[in-house]
Amino acid sequence: MSEESAAGAEKEDSSLETIRAAQNPDGGWPYKRRGGSWTEPTVYALLAHAAGQTAAPGSGRALAWLSAAQRADGGWPPRRSVDQSTWVTALVTLLPPEVLGAERHARGVRWLLEQSGMESTRAFRLREFLRKGELQDGPAQSGWPWFPGTAAWVTPTSLGILALKKSYWRQPSAELRERIEAAQAYLFSRRCADGGWNHGAARALGYNSEFYPETTGQALLALAGTDAEPLAESFQLAQGFLRECRPSGGAAWLRLGLLAHQQLPAGIPSFSMPCRTLPDVALSFLARRAERGYNIFVD
Amino acid sequence: MPRGIKRRDFLLGSAGVMGLAGCSRPKAPPARPLVAVTRAPAYSQELYGAMRRVLAEHKLKVRGRRVVLKPNLVEFEPASTINTHPMLVHAALEAFRALGAEVRIAEGPGHRRGTLDLAEAAGYFQTIPNFEDIFTDLNLDEVSPVRLPHPVSRLDSLYLPHTVLGCDLLVSMPKMKTHHWVGVTLSMKNLFGVVPGGVYGWPKNVLHWAGISESIVDLHSLFPRPFAIVDGIVGMDGNGPIQGRPKAAGVIVSGHDPVGVDATCCRIMQIEPSRIGYLALAGGLDRLEAKNIQQIGERLDGVATPFDLILELRSLRRDSA
Repeated sequence: MSEESAAGAEKEDSSLETIRAAQNPDGGWPYKRRGGSWTEPTVYALLAHAAGQTAAPGSGRALAWLSAAQRADGGWPPRRSVDQSTWVTALVTLLPPEVLGAERHARGVRWLLEQSGMESTRAFRLREFLRKGELQDGPAQSGWPWFPGTAAWVTPTSLGILALKKSYWRQPSAELRERIEAAQAYLFSRRCADGGWNHGAARALGYNSEFYPETTGQALLALAGTDAEPLAESFQLAQGFLRECRPSGGAAWLRLGLLAHQQLPAGIPSFSMPCRTLPDVALSFLARRAERGYNIFVD
Repeated sequence: MPRGIKRRDFLLGSAGVMGLAGCSRPKAPPARPLVAVTRAPAYSQELYGAMRRVLAEHKLKVRGRRVVLKPNLVEFEPASTINTHPMLVHAALEAFRALGAEVRIAEGPGHRRGTLDLAEAAGYFQTIPNFEDIFTDLNLDEVSPVRLPHPVSRLDSLYLPHTVLGCDLLVSMPKMKTHHWVGVTLSMKNLFGVVPGGVYGWPKNVLHWAGISESIVDLHSLFPRPFAIVDGIVGMDGNGPIQGRPKAAGVIVSGHDPVGVDATCCRIMQIEPSRIGYLALAGGLDRLEAKNIQQIGERLDGVATPFDLILELRSLRRDSA
């Protein structure tokens, strides 16, 4: 083992230690140590252990926490005390059915398939057409909202695509394929003029908006496997920003996105930004694992 | 929204608002709310003394009280005037502490997830000692549902963070900026930052779908007696709140009545307050009139300076037809 890879392996081990130490007695994970359990950090903690090919010592309790959190409609709430299924359902269904339970997983995927941004619903499009005489995006460009009853945005759409792709690889269906394609079309429609993605508003009142590293990385991940040519500008932007990207979460997503297209340039130094939340620790770990050959989101 | 909250949770939420938060107990606004306009030409050491004078003018009694300072953090652009300046927040922190308050700083940005990274880029770590120990990311804080007693938006309830539900005084500390959707973003619009992204996402799009102006008014109704300190030392005009240009106004505007504070800020920006939808909705047109606000400190005609507006918002200009 080279000196560099030994240091990398040590860092990976310490990340998993940090994650394990933060697990709450109820089985879930908090965003910050000693906080209450939330769905998002709980899933990232499990994904990190899966990517590290290490069973989390408390994984049974974590899965029990997730099972108890699933709502009757099949979706998951951001935390158990919130009485609404949201975008985190896409994250949970990134976990394999054999881990989550086949029936639970299938209900989560079904919930996801039933959600879309309000702007692509028939009722909203009709209303806007009558109001402005303009036809809004239809089902052919349909992403996911953060919270039901609102518009689609880049992060929940990217995670929705990644979750449905995993389901599609296991059991292909026209319904899954069409929904993935519609969501990818949504992502292309929301790309900023600079080639990247921000939260999902490429223009506002005629002004161009600028990209964010985290959402650019997420969108690139979700577009893995599509034609690379239209993404050339996005790759260039992401590669250029890697050296100056400050937030660890943003840097991790950019690396994961570029790696999914084999576009991470050689010689980019390891990132050493502080990880201030548990998802940041887990995502940085997942990015390092991806650099070593296993990208859990697309492999 | 969110639909389906159980009655028990409503009660819990209501208890949070009505019981824990003295700051949010419904009270009628004073007949002529006091609004102070304090000259502050630069972000300098003089701010510390100025802020103590501001709190003295308003006769704030906060000894032993839990005070939460809520600045506006938006983007990673330290060179721009997009975020509330950390020195003003530090000056407020010191001034409230000097009065015996227990002070925290809290914010939940609407677009970017790395709140502490944002704060670091904005200079908060450098300016405020032990910043991380006294800061709460409202996007990821513990939450309880709170019912809106008389909603004007399409919301009927909101999950809100315990840090703001449990404080005695919530201090809204926005930047004085134009806003391309609602005209201006000041102390009332700044309350969007208390809505938790961890529940609603980034952006907090439920507020947009429920009606931006109406949601601002609903949030204001949950915190009807906060304190406001507006950073108008260097604000932002043009295509705010993100892509505008720095605009020096050289003032701090403060008061207990956010409607009065924001209406006064509008006058400083040479914008007609009655044309700002949420101000008209929250206050009624009478309440926005200058004669109904007890304004102290600098005379408005000595500090008023026109904030440039994008074409779509030019009709908000005070002198426009």
